[in-house]
Amino acid sequence: MSTGNVLLQGRHICKSYQQGNKSNSVLHDVNIEIYDCDFTVIMGSSGAGKSTLLYCLSGMDSISDGKVLYQGEEISGYREKQMAALRIKEFGFVFQQTHLVSNLTLFENVAVAGYAGGERTAKEVQGRAEELLTRMCVGDAAMRFPSQVSGGEAQRAAIARAVINHPSLVFADEPTGALNKSNSEEVLGLLLGLHQDGQGIVMVTHDVRAALYGTRILYMEDGKILDELAIGEYEEKDGKETSYQKAREKKITEWLSALHW
Amino acid sequence: MEYFTLWRAGTRRHKGSLAGVFLLMLFINLALGTVLTLWNNSGSYIRSEMRRAGFGDLTAWVHDVPEQVRLADEIAGLDEVERVDSQRVIYADYTIKEQESDSQGQLIHLAAEEDRYRFFLDDLSGYQEKKPEIAPGEIYVSPSMVSMFGLQIGDEINFAVARSGGNFSFQVKGFYEDPFMGSSMIGMKGFLVCEADWKEIQRMIQERGKNALAREGAMLHIFSDDRESVSDLNRMMNENTALSQYTEFIHSEDAIAGFMLILQNAFSGLLIAFVFVLLFVAMVALGHSLSSGIEADTVNMGILKTVGFTTGKLRQIQLMQYLTAIVSGMLAGFVLSVPVSRIASEKMITTTGIHVPAGLPFEWILLSDLAVLLLLILFIFMKTERIRHITPMMAIRRDGQVQLPFPGKKVLCGIKKNALYFRLARRQLATAKRLYISTCVVAVLLVFFVSLVGRMDSWLGRDGKGMMDAFNPADHDIGVQVFGELTAGEAEELVSSYTGITDSYLLAMPNVSVNGTSYTANVISEPKRFHMMQGKTCQSEDEIVVTEFVAKDMDVKVGDRLMVQGDKGREEYTVSGIYQCANDMGANIGMSREGYLKIGQDNPHLWCYHYFLADNSVKEEITETLETAYGGDVHVHENSWPGLYGIISAMQVLVVFMYGMVFVFTLIVTVMTGSKILAAETKDLGIYKAIGFTSTKLRFTFAMRFCLTAVAGSVIGIFLAAVCTDSLVSAVMKLAGISNFASHPGLGEMLFPAGVVILLFMGFSYLTAGRIKRVAVTVLMGE
Repeated sequence: MSTGNVLLQGRHICKSYQQGNKSNSVLHDVNIEIYDCDFTVIMGSSGAGKSTLLYCLSGMDSISDGKVLYQGEEISGYREKQMAALRIKEFGFVFQQTHLVSNLTLFENVAVAGYAGGERTAKEVQGRAEELLTRMCVGDAAMRFPSQVSGGEAQRAAIARAVINHPSLVFADEPTGALNKSNSEEVLGLLLGLHQDGQGIVMVTHDVRAALYGTRILYMEDGKILDELAIGEYEEKDGKETSYQKAREKKITEWLSALHW
Repeated sequence: MEYFTLWRAGTRRHKGSLAGVFLLMLFINLALGTVLTLWNNSGSYIRSEMRRAGFGDLTAWVHDVPEQVRLADEIAGLDEVERVDSQRVIYADYTIKEQESDSQGQLIHLAAEEDRYRFFLDDLSGYQEKKPEIAPGEIYVSPSMVSMFGLQIGDEINFAVARSGGNFSFQVKGFYEDPFMGSSMIGMKGFLVCEADWKEIQRMIQERGKNALAREGAMLHIFSDDRESVSDLNRMMNENTALSQYTEFIHSEDAIAGFMLILQNAFSGLLIAFVFVLLFVAMVALGHSLSSGIEADTVNMGILKTVGFTTGKLRQIQLMQYLTAIVSGMLAGFVLSVPVSRIASEKMITTTGIHVPAGLPFEWILLSDLAVLLLLILFIFMKTERIRHITPMMAIRRDGQVQLPFPGKKVLCGIKKNALYFRLARRQLATAKRLYISTCVVAVLLVFFVSLVGRMDSWLGRDGKGMMDAFNPADHDIGVQVFGELTAGEAEELVSSYTGITDSYLLAMPNVSVNGTSYTANVISEPKRFHMMQGKTCQSEDEIVVTEFVAKDMDVKVGDRLMVQGDKGREEYTVSGIYQCANDMGANIGMSREGYLKIGQDNPHLWCYHYFLADNSVKEEITETLETAYGGDVHVHENSWPGLYGIISAMQVLVVFMYGMVFVFTLIVTVMTGSKILAAETKDLGIYKAIGFTSTKLRFTFAMRFCLTAVAGSVIGIFLAAVCTDSLVSAVMKLAGISNFASHPGLGEMLFPAGVVILLFMGFSYLTAGRIKRVAVTVLMGE
C-alpha cells in the first residue's frame, strides 16, 4: 500500500449506459484511492470496465452514482468550466490512439495545451514544449504534422502535451495499445521517467509488461476492483534489467493467476 | 427493393442536410412562384381589363371640342379605324390634405348601364358584388392614392373648377379599379362622381367662361382594324382629322400598359434575379452537402461495391435521396405561393391600383420548375462523379474515419498564445479551405445582391431624389416659377438668403404639337442637362430630343425629322437623341431655348428657375416662405411627385424581403455546412476538451471561422457590387425607361449588407456549434 497522500478518491462509483430500454451496468460500487506521485496501473480483461473507471475518475465521463473527490473536493458534480480548469491545471491525458489535432504540428499540439493554461507566458510555454519534445525524443519532428510522423513519435508528443502544464496526475488509457514492441517500451520508459521525477500516473493496460512500471496494480473484473498489488517502485539496475524485470513480471503474473486472469 | 432500402437508410442518415435542401427549395419556389404569378397575372390582367373596360388601341385625351360626336365620327370614318368610343371627362386640378396634384384629375361619371369599372370593398380585400350608387358629394378614387397622398375613405378632395372660390369638394366614398391610370406611377388620375355633380361642375365651367380653371373633354378610345400599325394610325388620324387641334395627349395601349406595369415589371425583374442568386446559393449548399455526405459514406459505399453495387447504382440512390428533398421542397413552395401571391397582391393594391389575380400561371411555373429540376439533376450527377473513385480497399483502410484535409507543408499562420482562438480558427480555415468555400461563395452572392439592392435604395434616396432625377428632364433641388408682380430676381434673392445657389438653369414646359400630336416640350436653357439615353442632346437650334415613348408612338429614330408647331409658328427639327423624362407618362420632347424660340413666344412667366442649393435641407423652409410671402404669384416645386412614395415603399418592402431571405438562407446554409464540419471534427473537439478547452471557447472558435469566411466573401461581394451595380442596374433600368443610374452610397450603406451577412453567419454558426456541448471526451476512448 502506498503511503503518499490521497489525491483522487472514487467512492461507490457506479456507471451504467442506457441502451434503448435496457440499462447496461459497467461499474458497480467501485471504491478507489489514487495517491500523490504514485504510478497506479489498472488491469483487467477486455470489458472489465477499466477504461470506463479511468474516464469516470478523470471527470471525462459522468458517473451514475457515487462520488469522485480530488484533494478532498467533490469533482463529480463540477460544471464544464470547472472541469476544464481542472483538466488544464491538474490532469493530463494520454490515449490509446494518439489523438493529436491533425492540423497542428507536434510542437503546436503540445504548446496549445500550455497556452490554454493561461498562467505562463508564451515564451515559457514554448520553452517547456521544446524541452518536453526533446526529452520525449521527438524534438526533430516538432514541426511535423501528426500524419507525417510514426505512431510512436505521435504518442510521445501526446505524452509531452499531457504534462506541459505540470499536472498532478496523468491518466493514460492503454498508451501502448496501438504501438509495436519497441515503441511501446520507449513510451513506457518515458512515462516511468516522468514518474521518477514525481509525476503521478494512472494507467490502464491489459499488458503485463506495461504493468511492470507501476508501483501499485489494481485488478478489475465485471466492473469491480477485485484486488490490488503493491510492487514498489520500479528500479533501474545497471545491466541487470532483464532479470529484475523477469522477477517483477513473475510476481505480477502469479498474482494475476491467483485471480484467474 | 434494394434501391428503396438504401434510399430509406440514406434519407435517415442525412435527414439534416436533406431537410436543409427541402427548405432551400421551398423558399426558392415560393419566391419564384409568387414573382411569376404577380408578373404574369398583372400583365395579362391589365390588358384584359383594359379591353373589358373598353379602352382602345389608342386613347386620345381631348378638350374643348365643339362637336365631339362629329370628331369621333370623323375618326371612325377612317379605313384603318374599326370604331371610336367616347368617355366624357372634366379636367381639373385638385388638392388632397393640402397637397396639390401635379397632374389634372379627370372627373368621370358612369351611366347607370355602364359596367366599365370594378369597385373594391372598403378594406380592399376584394370587389363589391354590385356597382354602388354614387350619391352627390361622393367620389370614388384609385387605391393608389393611398400611397400617393395618404388618402383614406372619408377624406376630402377639392377640385379647382373656377377662380375666386369656384371649388368643388367631394368626400371619398370608396375605391375603384382603374386599369388605365390606376398605378401610382401615373400622375393623372380618374375620379368617379355621380351624374348630378358632374353636370353641376359642367354648368360651373360654362357659367364662369374665361374664369373657369377646369375644362371639359373626353377620352376617345380608338379601335384599330389592325393592331400592329398603331403608330401608322396615329399619323393617319393627325393628317386626316381635326383630332390634333384638341388633343391633350394620345397614348397607345402598349404605352399605357407599360406605365401601369412599370413598377411590377421592375421589381419582378429584380426579384427573379434574386431568385437566381438564391438558386445558386442552394446549389452551393447542395454541392457541399453532397461532397461531405459522400465523404462520410465512403466506407458504406466501399462495402456496397464489394457486394456488387455499381457506381451508377450508387449515384442513382444519391440522386433519388436528394430529388426527394428537392421535389418535395418545390411542391411545398408551389403550394405556399398561392396564399403568398394572394397576400402580396392585396398588399400591392395601394401602389399598383389593381388587384392582381392570385391564380398560379401553371405553364410558366411548370416550365421554370422543370428547368430548375433539370439543372439540379445535372448538378447532382456532376457532384456524385467522385463515387466512381471509391474502391472497397480504400473504404476498408479508412475504417470509417472521416479524414480532415491534410494541411500541406505551407502553414499560413502560427499558433501562438496571443489571440489563440482566432489563430486556431484561422488554421482551421487554412487547412480545410474546401469545407468553407461554399460559405464564402454564399456570402459573396448574398452580399453582392443585397449591396446591389442597397445601392439602388441609396440611389433612390429617402425622398426618392434619384428616381426624380431620372424622371425629370434635368436635375435640380428646387424650382421657382413667378407670376404677376413678382420678379425672378426677387425670388432668387429670397432663396439666396437661406443658402447659397450653386447652379441654376431655366426650364419651360409649353405645349407644342409634333407632327400634329400635342406634347409637352421641356425647353431648357442648358440642353446638356437632359438625361440622354441615346444619341446626343439638342445643342443646335434645329434639333430636338424625344423620349423612348414618343419615339415608339411616332415611330421615329435618331436622325429622323419631325414638324413641331408652337404658338408662333412651325419648324422642322432633327431628332438628335433619345432622352429620359417620365413627365406626362413620357409624352414629351426636349428642346433648347433657342430652338423653341423659333416657334414659340417668349414670356417671363413661362420660365421656371431651377436651382441647386448649397444646403439642400432648407428647401422646405424656402418653399414655405415663398408661398407665404407671394401666394398665387409664385409656384415652387421640389424634386418630387406623389407616385414616388409608392416606389419608395415598394423598395422598402423589397429590401426587407431580401434581408428576410438572407436571414433564412444564411441560417439554412450555416446549419447544413456547420453540421457536416462538426461531424467531421468530433475527434478534434474531444481532444480540445480533454486538454481543457471549454465548449464556449470551441464554439467561439467555430463561429470565428465562419466569421472570417463571411468577411472574405463579403469583401468580394462589396467589391463586385461596387464594380458591377451601376452597369447591371442601368441595363435593367433602361427596360423601365430610366437611363441615368449611378449609385454613390456612403461608407455605412456600403458596409451594412456585409455587416449583416457576417453577423448572421457568425451568430448562426455559434448556435449551430451548440452541439459541441454534447461532444463528450469519451469519443476518444479506446475501449
